[in-house]
Amino acid sequence: MQRTCALTLVGLAYWVPSVSQAQALDVAMGGKLFATHCVECHSTKEGRHKKGPSLFNMVGTKAGLNADYKYSDALKNSHLTWDLATLSKYLEAPKAFVPGGKMKYDGMRSASDRAQVINYLAAQRPQ
Amino acid sequence: MNQRLTISSALSRAAQLLAIVLATTALQANAMPSFARQTGMNCSGCHVGSYGPQLTPAGIRFKLSGYTDSDGQSGKVPLSAMIVTSFSKTQQGQVPAPDHLKSNNNLKLDKVSVFYAGKISHYLGAFAQFTHDGIEHVNMVDQVDVRYAQTHEVAGKEVLLGVSVNNNPGVQDPFNTMPVWGFPYVSSAAGVGTGDAATLINGGLEGRVLGTSAYAMLNDNFYAELGTYKSMSTKLQSSLGQGSDDTNKLGGNTYWRLAYMNDMKDQAFHAGVFGWTAAVKPDHTSSGPSDHYKDMGIDASYQFLGTREHMATVNASYVRERKLKGATSDVAHLKEARINASYYLNQTYGASLGLFSTKGDTSTDSTRGKMLQVDWTPWGKEDATAPEPFSFANVRLGAQYWDYNTFEGNSSSAKDHNTAYLFAWFSY
Repeated sequence: MQRTCALTLVGLAYWVPSVSQAQALDVAMGGKLFATHCVECHSTKEGRHKKGPSLFNMVGTKAGLNADYKYSDALKNSHLTWDLATLSKYLEAPKAFVPGGKMKYDGMRSASDRAQVINYLAAQRPQ
Repeated sequence: MNQRLTISSALSRAAQLLAIVLATTALQANAMPSFARQTGMNCSGCHVGSYGPQLTPAGIRFKLSGYTDSDGQSGKVPLSAMIVTSFSKTQQGQVPAPDHLKSNNNLKLDKVSVFYAGKISHYLGAFAQFTHDGIEHVNMVDQVDVRYAQTHEVAGKEVLLGVSVNNNPGVQDPFNTMPVWGFPYVSSAAGVGTGDAATLINGGLEGRVLGTSAYAMLNDNFYAELGTYKSMSTKLQSSLGQGSDDTNKLGGNTYWRLAYMNDMKDQAFHAGVFGWTAAVKPDHTSSGPSDHYKDMGIDASYQFLGTREHMATVNASYVRERKLKGATSDVAHLKEARINASYYLNQTYGASLGLFSTKGDTSTDSTRGKMLQVDWTPWGKEDATAPEPFSFANVRLGAQYWDYNTFEGNSSSAKDHNTAYLFAWFSY
């Protein structure tokens, strides 16, 4: 029994850092995908708007409420909240998900890529 | 002369106005010039190596959309300015020295340009360049492209439809393979470039014609364009700074372009064909027959974009011209081949190599060589902008070396024309 507990503890000791490492890797991969797909039109710096709004600290917020940026009426009236599931649907096909929106991006087909980008965006928050 | 003075004084007033406007906007916001200011994007968003004119797919879409995309904020000033200054040294001095230049070692202010570049209304935008040529000491209306574009949905597919009014066939093209926006993007006035022999579509009537073309882009993939041009009157050409010595008059003509492009975000490519078929009367003051040009080209490009840390591009084109001389019924041919590749690290440090070849029926039409360029563009990126209050400014410092195998049919003395060119290219 003692031996089993000891092994479990050793296993946890390895598992805990490996989970955080995996998350960090996921965020890093998401950063690369962001640089490839999004960076022309979006910044993750606070208040740095381009053609698209700053994506700093945006996960979990209501859509279209950043006062410094001029959103489309379609997005402002969408009443969406940028939770993980909504973001995934939006990134998959933005024009279909919010018809009349400004974002010209065609969409990211891979669910795992979307998850990584969203993880990266979720990490862009006040420290 | 009076007309030139009028343009000169107008440009001077415009430059003063621009200086005031830019100084004002610099204090108001973290602004960048013109397109960048309008969209909020960095130079690197639309240009390979953070400096024009080589376009990324985002830049291509911006151009085809009529220069109208914006961040939605009002009060953006659609004016920019550019200065190119350089030092040129050819292997052997030129005897006699070219007009307005020394026989060698020329330190020059190449050009100063003021641009109206940006949105006019929701669907209408313009890129219009007004230039003081520091070599010829002439003020002129340079490249102009005014366009109207709208996106529609047809049978579930996105169709971008547009119309361009411009003064140089090819200036409206979104790819950097046709002559107008092709590599090299800046070159020495003291050098001999790719030789005098050039096809009609390679700037033959640049700035002397006015034309319109209609274009469509289907689903961000298929591009088609059709247009035609008309010569400006000699008086109008003169008043726009083109002088009055050109006797050509354009008759019936058709400009066309077909291309397929694919933007896969981490890489992109295009392949296409283009052409300009035109009747040109060599002397509009006589009733003689016209020459008939048939220029046809094939072109392709590839861009590795990745995460934008390492970027590489290849551009290639081949243009074949058939010219039927009206007066003699003789037929002449000219073939221009161009290929260039570039690499950029962190959208800052660049190296490019271009090969060029022009061949004609006579040996004096033949010029062949290569050109190497290295450049440094420190700003125009999200993490690297010019110091305040000029955060909107950008600069490219570069060095070129032109190496000739054959120049206008002569191989033995071709190297005499080898040219080293150092340039500083500022934009505001």
